[in-house]
Amino acid sequence: MSRSHPPLVALLGLVGTLAACEPAPACDGYCGTAVIVTIGDVGTLYPPVIGTNQEWEVADQIFLRLADMGLNLNTVGDQGFVPKLASSWTFEDSVTIAFRIDSAARWQDGQPVTAEDVAFTFAVYRDPATNSSAGHLLDRIVSVTARDKQTAVFRFTHPYVEQFFDATHHMRILPKHILDTIPPLQRAGHEFARHPIGSGPYRLVRWVSQEAIELAADSNFFLGRPGLARLIWRTFPDGTGMVAPLETGEADITGAIIGPPNVDRARQIPHIRVIEYPSPYYGYMGFNFRNPADRTRPHPLFHDRALRRALTMAIDRVAITRAVWGEYAVPAKGPMGPMLRTFAYHLPQIPYDSAAARAELARLGWRDHDGDGVLDRDGQALRFDVIAPASSGSRIRSAVLIQGQLQPLGVAVNVVELAPAVFGQRAQDGDFDAIMMTWGTDPTPSTIVELWTTDGIAASNWDAYSNPEFDRYVEQARNARDSTDERTAWEAAYRIFLDDAPAILLSSPLMNAAVHTRFENVTIRPDLWATTLWTWRIRPGAMIDRDRLVRRDP
Amino acid sequence: MIRFLAIRLVQAVAIVFLVVTATFFLIRLAPGDPYTTVTDRHVPPEVVDYNRHLFGFDQPIARQYVTYLRRLSHGDLGLSHRTFRPVAERIRGALPNTILLGFGALLVNFAFGIAVGAVQAARYDQRLDHLLSLVTLTLFSIPAFWLGLLAIDLLAVNLGWFPTGGTMDVVTGDLLPFGRQLLQRLHHLVLPALTLGLVSGAWTARYMRAEMLDVLARDYVRTAWAKGLPPRRVVIHHIARTALMPIVTLFGMFVPVLLSGAVFIEYVFAWHGLGWEAAKAVETYDYPMITALTTLTAAMVVLGNLVADILYRIADPRTVSS
Repeated sequence: MSRSHPPLVALLGLVGTLAACEPAPACDGYCGTAVIVTIGDVGTLYPPVIGTNQEWEVADQIFLRLADMGLNLNTVGDQGFVPKLASSWTFEDSVTIAFRIDSAARWQDGQPVTAEDVAFTFAVYRDPATNSSAGHLLDRIVSVTARDKQTAVFRFTHPYVEQFFDATHHMRILPKHILDTIPPLQRAGHEFARHPIGSGPYRLVRWVSQEAIELAADSNFFLGRPGLARLIWRTFPDGTGMVAPLETGEADITGAIIGPPNVDRARQIPHIRVIEYPSPYYGYMGFNFRNPADRTRPHPLFHDRALRRALTMAIDRVAITRAVWGEYAVPAKGPMGPMLRTFAYHLPQIPYDSAAARAELARLGWRDHDGDGVLDRDGQALRFDVIAPASSGSRIRSAVLIQGQLQPLGVAVNVVELAPAVFGQRAQDGDFDAIMMTWGTDPTPSTIVELWTTDGIAASNWDAYSNPEFDRYVEQARNARDSTDERTAWEAAYRIFLDDAPAILLSSPLMNAAVHTRFENVTIRPDLWATTLWTWRIRPGAMIDRDRLVRRDP
Repeated sequence: MIRFLAIRLVQAVAIVFLVVTATFFLIRLAPGDPYTTVTDRHVPPEVVDYNRHLFGFDQPIARQYVTYLRRLSHGDLGLSHRTFRPVAERIRGALPNTILLGFGALLVNFAFGIAVGAVQAARYDQRLDHLLSLVTLTLFSIPAFWLGLLAIDLLAVNLGWFPTGGTMDVVTGDLLPFGRQLLQRLHHLVLPALTLGLVSGAWTARYMRAEMLDVLARDYVRTAWAKGLPPRRVVIHHIARTALMPIVTLFGMFVPVLLSGAVFIEYVFAWHGLGWEAAKAVETYDYPMITALTTLTAAMVVLGNLVADILYRIADPRTVSS
């Protein structure tokens, strides 16, 4: 009996028809495609509410600041800053900076960028309805006004060394002529957040949610033609599969390889160059200064400075760093990541000395009176919980290692793994004895205010560490009028902090970017690796197939 | 049949409503909310408070529930807390990928499961049966994500036969004519569908084998053998057809499971589907997204069972009278 196979025939026919289709169009003269692996979804491209590095990677190609920090991340004065929308600037007096907007700067809809846009941007960031997490960082700027079409004038509350940084770093300039027609409360959810119009080197051409974002270069960009014609971000949900597309050549770049095993694997790929750069992160185990059962009272253990110092002395931070991160981290030196300029200061650390720690605990009266293996004093055991988010393997491992190092001394540590939201809730409520934390900071040392000063207790100083002398030096540093005074004050503040031991500082992970070897002029600014991406280009003669593809409908 | 369908539809609506209600309250009773998840970047407390107010978390939970139901009755699933975009828009983006992966996996599952199960039953207690039992048991025991990683390493990285992940080639993607885009999607589908299909297909194979062995012992099969019919004809026409009946039930169970998103597979293959959305939503306490996805899953489970019931009644008319 003969039998027909219509579906099979149809399928073969379809394949045959498709095989005859035209290939994708090729570029003519202006080429270069970079495929970038990124972890996590991009939720918005509206700068005032952007909250993740992934979003900044993309948004920083579309929007510009007035000026950009240099690769050395100096935040004092204007040294090293590179003109962007502002072609020049003048310090008119100790509290006034006037920026001259580049007359060639254009929005992607063809409108000129003006000083009005700058004044509007400041108003948007400061507007409570915008709900920008950067809004409070501008609180030392009194006003931003448009003196004329090309001149934006910033006035500050008082003179300090980071005025220029504050004026330029926190805001990406927004198009007034588009946004002032949208009610402030609706801007974050408006179509503009999905299809932004900026003044940067690239514009958005395609955004497939959770999959890919594509930008096309503006060949008429006023600061020069970008080195690559297309930038495509490919989204991954986590770090698990991020290196495989680099190995197969499906992708070219990732700004931050997640996890030491992935870094090791990336180093084995012949056509990939791994570039190490300092991170803004530092991890620690923080001591709660307040009693979690009654926040008005001091913590029964950790209000004692001598005990905190003894526990810090008992921890081999170098060993923990090596065990958790391998060669991809350095021990934390203070409340700042290695990226910060203040990380270079020489700061005396409490040395690791378990014998001295044991002796100090005994001197403080902590002895094992009941023979249960745990030290006690006046009927209270030296036993505490440390909370850590279950989503962070590095923090859990660090907590377990601390537990192991303290146990021989008779200190009982109970590691409590919590779901991230529960961890967050308990952290914010101060409901813990000790906490495993990691913070990433802005390039300015001033971030310390929210995390460790007395004023910060209302913000993110969940340990409730408070030392008026430390606060005073921090304020001195922030308000210093010259860099020498600033440095002296920061060093004094850091020394008090390290002496007080409000936390056992652990590790500062290093960042590793993976970049295809066909790119040249590759530079990485440590706070946001993609800031200089528009200047990268393909080495002559190193182009591959995808570099020649072009989109005809930008 | 119409009365049966009407009753089942009423039951379905009631079940989905209960799931919506239970999900709504349970996730809000859990500690924390979308704004207590600590990231490593500082978020000012006034911003947190403002967002809580914006999304109504400062309202009593009963009032939040009434507001949610009112919006839901108008087809409004709310805004995602994570992206400030409508939940319906996010689901629309992920659903086609999930359907594609789900049906691709189902195809692999049943093709593999039925074929292997049938061969095993036909070669009962022989070397091939033992070998295939080992294979299916192994597939059944290993985690799908691990098999996925293995497949990526072997078939994508080392052999270069398939892409490592994603639902399309992000470079050529939409630059290609529609037909080639379609082929490209199918190319991207192979590894995740194979991984998901093989793991679930191992279960189908063992189920199919057991059913066929049960049928093998029946009188009419013995009669068929006695009549001297060719083995192929006996196995396919007399044994397999009967044994396939319970597989219809299995189909009804697999459809919602596969369509509601295979979280780990979607993660490993960076396949943007409902599973990925669900995992992100749970991670970030995105209440409207969690509630919408749970509702959708419940609806699929109900629908899957309904379809299985209908198929069963069509395939075996005896169930109608009973």
